[in-house]
Parts: sequence; structure tokens; C-alpha cells
Amino acid sequence: MYWPGWFIFISPLIGFVLSYGIGRKRRNLAGIIASLSILGSLIASLVTFLQVQSSGAIYNHFQWFYNINAGIYIDHLSLVMAIMVSFVSLMIHLFAMYYMKDDPNRHIYFAETALFTAGMLGLVVASNLVLFFLFWELVGLCSYLLIGFWFFKPNAASAAKKAFIVTRVGDLLFLVGMALLYESLTGFTGLGSNSPLSIPFLITNASAISAYVGKATLGIVAVLFLAGAAGKSSQFPLHVWIPDAMEGPTTVSALIHAATMVTAGVYLVARVFNLFYFSADFALYSVVILGSFTAIFAGIVGLFVNDIKRILAYSTISQIGYMLSAIGLGGLFGYTGVSYGMFHLVVHAVFKALLFMSAGAILIALMDLRDTRLMGGLWKKMPLTITLLFIGSLALVAFPLTSGYFSKDTIIDASWVYYAHYGTVESFLPWLFLSLGALMTTLYTFRMFFRVALGKPRSHLAEHSKDPSIFALIPLFVLAFGSLTLGLIQTPFYNYIYSGSSLPTAVPFNIRMVPLAFLAIGIVVTYAIYGTDLWKKLDFSRNPLYKLGKNKFYLDYLFTNILAERAIVPLAAGFTLFENRYNRSVEKTGSEALKLGDIFRKIQNGVIENYFIILIMGISLIFIIIELVGVF
Amino acid sequence: MSSEILVTSTGLHALSYFIPVIFLSLVGFIILAMGTRNTGKSIMSWITFFTLAVGGVLTYLLTPIGTSIFGGTLVFNSFGLYFALIMIISSMFICYPALKGLTAKSEIFYATLLFVTVGMILAAFSYNLITLFISFEAVSIGTYVLASFGKSRRNLEGTVKYFFTGTIATAFILLGSSFFYLGTGTFNLSILATSIATPEISLALIFLIVGFGFKLAIFPMHQWAIDTYDGAENSVSAFLSAGSKVLAYVVILKVFLLGFSSDFKDVYYLFVILSILTMTYGNISALSQNNLKRLLAYSSVAQAGYLILVLAVVSSTGNITSGVASLAIASGMFYSLVYIFMKGGSFIALNSVNHESVELADVSGLAKKSPALAVSFAILLLALAGIPLTGGFFAKYLLFLSLIEGGLWWLAVIAILNSAISVFYYFRVIMYMFGRNPVGDQEFDLTRSVKVPVYASATITVVLSLMILWFPAVINIASGLFG
Repeated sequence: MYWPGWFIFISPLIGFVLSYGIGRKRRNLAGIIASLSILGSLIASLVTFLQVQSSGAIYNHFQWFYNINAGIYIDHLSLVMAIMVSFVSLMIHLFAMYYMKDDPNRHIYFAETALFTAGMLGLVVASNLVLFFLFWELVGLCSYLLIGFWFFKPNAASAAKKAFIVTRVGDLLFLVGMALLYESLTGFTGLGSNSPLSIPFLITNASAISAYVGKATLGIVAVLFLAGAAGKSSQFPLHVWIPDAMEGPTTVSALIHAATMVTAGVYLVARVFNLFYFSADFALYSVVILGSFTAIFAGIVGLFVNDIKRILAYSTISQIGYMLSAIGLGGLFGYTGVSYGMFHLVVHAVFKALLFMSAGAILIALMDLRDTRLMGGLWKKMPLTITLLFIGSLALVAFPLTSGYFSKDTIIDASWVYYAHYGTVESFLPWLFLSLGALMTTLYTFRMFFRVALGKPRSHLAEHSKDPSIFALIPLFVLAFGSLTLGLIQTPFYNYIYSGSSLPTAVPFNIRMVPLAFLAIGIVVTYAIYGTDLWKKLDFSRNPLYKLGKNKFYLDYLFTNILAERAIVPLAAGFTLFENRYNRSVEKTGSEALKLGDIFRKIQNGVIENYFIILIMGISLIFIIIELVGVF
Repeated sequence: MSSEILVTSTGLHALSYFIPVIFLSLVGFIILAMGTRNTGKSIMSWITFFTLAVGGVLTYLLTPIGTSIFGGTLVFNSFGLYFALIMIISSMFICYPALKGLTAKSEIFYATLLFVTVGMILAAFSYNLITLFISFEAVSIGTYVLASFGKSRRNLEGTVKYFFTGTIATAFILLGSSFFYLGTGTFNLSILATSIATPEISLALIFLIVGFGFKLAIFPMHQWAIDTYDGAENSVSAFLSAGSKVLAYVVILKVFLLGFSSDFKDVYYLFVILSILTMTYGNISALSQNNLKRLLAYSSVAQAGYLILVLAVVSSTGNITSGVASLAIASGMFYSLVYIFMKGGSFIALNSVNHESVELADVSGLAKKSPALAVSFAILLLALAGIPLTGGFFAKYLLFLSLIEGGLWWLAVIAILNSAISVFYYFRVIMYMFGRNPVGDQEFDLTRSVKVPVYASATITVVLSLMILWFPAVINIASGLFG
């Protein structure tokens, strides 16, 4: 047993118990305890890093039930995630001590975020898909609890419900995929003494598995896994929950809905990448097309939103699309695609956490006023925070030499290589979507930033805002430093994930300049409109295209008003009607059983002679039955 | 099958195998002597407790695993050891809570408890109908004495019923053993190679199930149990429904799986019918029960029905060395282990009510007075119902799993339906505890002798769910049943 590996997720679990138990009496200690426990995870992850460097991947497991095992599997991929999750989570916890300092229930908040971190780290190091799924559900639960943390706000309560229900759709499909995989592995001779759903077994024997179960079946399994990933990572069309989830505390949005939990789906696809790779071609193609379509789709919707957090939420959806499409490009690039995707995942976690927390600092100063139309001129009022927001925005739009530039433009270049290799129309789509997505990213990011930072304050609150104390901002500085410099480790990172990784080559210079050109256009256009007061004079509200975007392409309308209210609710009512009829018969059974019990009780009348009569009659009857049955 | 190689041992040094038994009996006599000097009852309870603990350790250390003595009459194996330890624990379990009901002659209570335990240990290792009968009878007579402790008429009435039915059961056992001898020509229990289903064997089957089934309280031999559990002191009810039931269970396992291995077809039909009737009868009668002690008594009848499902599985496979048979027996063993804590603990939890007869309404509002006790009691009830995260869940899970593996899925469906029914009345108790206010100025007895055993059993019940990891070891022991 390699204990530091287990300690990675056990430490925040202890933190969960302690910060709630002690925090009940001493509210201020809760945050410190939770942060310390996550520091423990970070240290354990770093120690494990050294261990993995010297001895290779760690696989500790024990038999759990039947032929399913449980345990930890730590290789380079899970280490990268573990270090990223514990580091970002630590930074966010530190900032949350400031952000939540006046909340009366902050001990519950910290206990829940510690539990969330435990679940997320457990998911990262789990050695078996069943255990993985358990942690997957645990983070889902924590997400539900934390979105609804301010449950007294009706919006928050319904957002929590929506998040829970929508992700459940994906989870169910994931579970079906697991069951299908398990079922089709019965009788597989390569199984040996392995557990059928053990992750190391699946990834090392993927080609043999594919030969045994057939490429098409494995492809269906892979697509079901992708559906699970889409629910958790909020990909089209299951992305509708994440903008609503912004009703929770901003630190929660930073931790769960930007940096860690929503990347769990990407991690799942990366984790079992070999299953995708060795299954039918449609599996990885659906990954790339889903990712790139979501990237542009969410980018477009982001253009029509005014709420600062929701803009960031749509940007998260779009960026996760980039990660997924990078992995999907693995159909051509093999494991190198995973390297591309994982690097963007890590970089995105850092700069998105930075963006969310600077937004959080703004919201604290503005008493939770989230409408960007009412901000303005904040760069003068709160220079530190807005500079941090600016750094985050630069990384998000992949401004040259920031970390986002290295991680994202590599993916766009790779998608061009993908097209150049296949040369078909459908292989052109990823590049088209991703590079147009880059334009959208620039547009919505600077639309938000210029509105927030430039001009004159457009509300009383904005006029009187000021920076939080510099101590509270320390974690943000750390993240800002990361956002600017992480690009330096690009090549070492790729080689760490997969030693054969290389940068996409043979991309024409013109093509390489396309994203940069889009970036330049985007900045100029947004400055012209939103850097000045021009946007106030524009009125698109009658334009049908504007309406379409403003209503998020009617997807929310479709799900909530049509699917839920018109279809599921009447259906449920119909079932209720049937059930009421049926219930009556069930209740009848119950009351009859109770009556029968009464009759039995009367037999038990306390007269011992009767007992013997019943005994003799009963046993004789049983004897006769046995003898009769024995004859036939 | 068994990895333990049997060594036949004769001669005087066989006496050394009985050190734990001799030790327990000696201390029993010492306690009797102490009674004449008016020693305090709590001292005696502690002495008994530690004696049993030492006895348990001695049994564990000194039992010569893999030895058979007196021509196969007694066989020491880890299967017997497992049950001997369970029964010792169940005796230890009531030492402390029994203090509450003892008003006089406590030395007799504790000495008898020790003697009963001696009988139980011997029965666990016996593989012969005569020694089984003697040790079984030693336990029966001891428990008549234990059940009579208490002050009320109800109490005496219960004891007398127990005594009468017990005596009749004895007669059935003796007659059954004679028929068994007529059919097989031996009293020893060992696997018979040839299949013989003579009328004598069939009669022996019926007579022995009546005789031994009394103590396990299976339908239709269950009726004394309701009155006696209701009338006796809570701790004695706990013992009767836990330790003494496990004894009957291990005896039934041995007699019917070994002695009647030649006639598995009849054994199969017998136990299928008995288990269905027992489960259903126990659960349905408990539904409308308002007397809490009787409710638990009926639930205890139902649990006996689950326990004997094991015999149905094993006899249906017909092959005692098969994996399914081992799984079934091991699940029965695990069930017995969990069962003594969940059932014993629930009866002891009733000590918190200061009435003689405990109605459902008497526990209402317990959660307000002592949340910890109410939660512990609730855990025990949930375990009995087989709700996950308790040992009771895994016990039922494994049992039903063995049913399905053995191809008796329809029986598993009946058993699961029965469990579902049982949830109703267990939850009813929980609803009363948590959802209602105390009746009048109801005072609960919340002294340590009530709380500690209940907390302990609730904790153990939960911890036992982790023991599932240890289950493969139990499967290894299970094959020891067959000598």
C-alpha cells in the first residue's frame, strides 16, 4: 500500500468532518481547517509525483465486491489532475476565507467544499470505473449542495435542482455505458484475474478488448461515456445547467463550475482514451465534433448575456469544448491529442479560477450587482482587481505569449492538420468551428471587460467600489502569475503526459495567423463598440437573430417549457392518475395484510393447548405435503 | 473441501481439550458459593463477564483445530469454533444489562448463564445426536431458569409455557433420534454415501425438526416464543432470541445437512415450505402488533425463516462441496453473527422503558430525551430490516445472493418481498421514536446499563458491514461444517 496516494483524497475527507465539527462552535476555524486539509492533499500529490518519477505508475487495490476492485491508480495523467485540483482548490479556499467571511453558515460551506475536493481527488485517483462513478456522483451532490448554498434565494434553489436533474441525464447514460461494457466483457479470456472495469486493465488491453467485443459495440460504449462527460462537463445540449449554477457563491463557481468538476468529463474521456481510440471511428469523431460545436455555440450565446458570471460560465462551456475537441483529434494524433487537451484543461483551470475570483472581488465591492451594463469605470476605482481580471481575460482570449495562447492555438493548429490529413468536408468543420470560436471568445471577453473597466461608473454602487485588501488577493496574484507563465512548460508538459507528443507541424503560416487575426479584429471591434459609449445607442432588440441568441437558441425554453412542462409534467400527471387507481389496490393489499395479521394474533391466544393443536396439525400437513411431493 | 485434516485423538490427554469448558463451570460454582456470602450483584456480573471473555479467549487458543475425539462424537473445527465464539459473545452481551431486572438470587442467574454457555460450546463441537441432545438439553434447562427471573405473573406464565413446550420438544428429539438410529444404524452425524429414504428416515426428519425447531421458533413451533419473549426480562429475551437461537441454528445445520445428506430431496421440500411459512407468518403478524416486545418477537420468528433458507439452498444443490453450498452456509454464519447484535441490542434497548409490558407508544419521543439512544436503536432496527450501510444489509444480501446463485430465484423473490413487508413495522417503531412527543410525563431509564450495550451493538452492527471484506475467510470456514 502506498499511503500518500490514498492520503490525497482522504485528507480533505478528514477536513470535511473536522471543519464541520469544529466549525459548529468556532466558525472562523472552519476555513483554516479546510484549507489545511487541502494543503495536505497538495503535499501528498507532490510526494506521489516524486514517487511516480522513481517507480512508475502506482496501482493499489483490493477486492471490493464480486469481481469489482477498488483502489487507487496514479499515473502521469491522474497526477497532473491531482496537482491541478489540489492547487487550484487551495487557492480558491484561501480566497473563500475572505469572500465568505460574513456568512453565518460558513462552516457548512467549507465542509462542503472540502467534501467536494475529496470527491474530485478521489475521482482522479480511482482505479476502477465503479469507484470513479461513486466519486463522480459525490461531486455531483456537492455541486448541488453548493449551488443551493444560499437556498433562501429562490433562483439558487431552482438552479441547484436544474443542475442536479440535467447532469443526471448524462450520469444515467454513463452508467448504462459501464453496464454495457461490463456485460460485453464476460467471457473475455484476456481478463485473467483483473476486475473487468478496472481502469489500468481497460487502458492497457484496449485493443484486445476491441477485438473481443467488436469495434461498433465499443464505439457505443464510448459514446455513452461521452454522454456522461457531456452532462458533467456541460457540453451541448446538456450545458443548460451551468449558467443557472452561477447563483451559488462565486468561489463555488470558480472551484466547481470553472476549474475542477466540469473538467471531470474531459478527464473521463482522457482516462479511457484508449477505449475511444480502438473503437469505431465515429466515437472519436463525435468527441471532436461535439467539442468544437459546443465551443462556437456557447461562444455565440455568450455574446448576448449581460451578467458577468454568466458570461464567464458560457466561456467555460466553450473552453471545455476546446479540450474535448483536442482529445477527439486524437483519432489522428493518438495520445498526443490527450496531451493537448489536458494542457488546455490545466491552463484553463488557472486562468478561469482567476477570472471568477476577480469577478467575485468585484461582486463583493458591488454588493452582488452582476449586470455589466451597470458597472463601468472600475479600472480607476479598483485598479488591482481589474488588472487581475485583465490578465485573466488576456489568457482567455489566447493573447500571444500568455498561457492560453500556447494551449489553445496549438489545438486550433492541430485541427488544421486534421483537415489536411483527411481533406474531407466533415474534417474541415472542427477547424472552422474552433477558429471562429476564437473570434467569439475575443468578442464576448472584451465586451465584458470593456464594459466593466472603461467608461464612467453607471451606477451608484460602481461609483463607490474599492479594492479588497491586498492579503485577500494573494491567491489571485499566484494564479495571475500562472496565467502568464504556464506557457513556458508547454513542451515538457506534453511529454510528461505522453512521451511521444509533439507540436503540430506543417501548418501554413497563413492558417496559423487566422486566430491571431480574429483576435485583433475582435479587440478592435469590441473597443469601438464597448470601449466607447456606442453600444448604448445600438438597439437590436427587434432583430430576429438577436432574439434567437438572447433566448439562448431556445434550448432552455425547449427543455423547461416544452419538455418538462408540456411533456413530462402531463405524463407524470397521467401516471399519477393511473397510480391512484393502482394505489388503491396496493393499499387494499396492505390493509388486508394487516387484517391477516390480526387473525394470526387471535391464533396466538395464550392457551397452550391450542398451541399444541396447531403444532400437530401444521407439522402433519407439512409432512403430508412433503411425502406427496416426494411421490411425484 | 475442508482444508483441515482430521486427527483422531484418544486417551486421557483429550481432557485437556475441555479446559475452557471446565474453567467456565468452575467459575459457575464459585459464583454460586459467593451467593451464600451475599456478594453484590454487580460484582458477580463483572466476574461473569470477564470469565466469559477469558473463556472465549481460551476456547479460541486451546481448541485443537482438526481433531476428532471419542470416535467422531466431538469434532473440533473452525466452523464449530466460530459458532462457539458467537454464542459466548451473546452470553457476555447480557451480563451487564441483566442487572436491571435482578432483584434476588442473582448468583443463580449468573451461574446458570455460565452453565448454559458450557452447553452451547459443547453443542457447537458435537457431531453426534446423543451429545447434541445432552448439550442442547443443558441449554434448555438453563434457559428455563433464566426466563423465570423477574417478578410478575406474566413472566411466570411465559416461563411455564416455555417449559411445557420445551419438554415436548425434548420428547420429539428423543423419538426422532431413535428413528434416526433405526434408519441409519448410528448416532454419529457424517455424510452418507448412499441415498436412503426409508420411512424411518422420513419420520426422523419430521420429529427432529419439531424438536429442534422449537428453539429456533420456526412455524408452527413458534408460539411459545411470542409469549415467553414478551414475558421474560428484556435481557433474557435478548439471550433467548439471540444466543439460544444461534445454538438451535447450528444444531439444525448439522443435523439436517449431515445426518440427512442421504435424503436431501425431503430436506429441501421441508425447508422451503418451513422458511416461506415462517417468514411470511412472522412478518405479517408483526404488522398490526402494537406491543413492542411482541413485535420484536414476531420479527425474530421472521428472521428464523431467513436463516433456514440456507438449508433450502444447500439441499437443493445436493452437492455439499459446491461453491454455492459454501456461499450459502457462509452467509448463514455471517447472518448469525450480525443477528446476535441486532436482535440482542434491540431487546436490550427496551430496557429504557420503565413498564412491564412495552407498547409502541411507550417509546414515542425517545429521540427527544436521548437522541443517541434513539439513533442507536434505529440503526439496529434498520439492520433488522436490511437497510444498506448496516451489517444487516450485507447479511441479507449475501443470503439472497446465495439463493440466486443456487437457482432458487423465486424463493429469493419471496424473501425479498418479505423483507419489504418487514420495513413497514420497523419504520413504524422509528416513526414513534422520532416523530412523536412523549406520552404524559413518561420517564425513560437512561442509565448506563441500558445505553452502553445498545451503543455497542449499534456500533458493531455498522462496523460489521466492513467485515464484508473478511467474508472470503468465512467461506473457507464454512466447509468445516461437514467434519
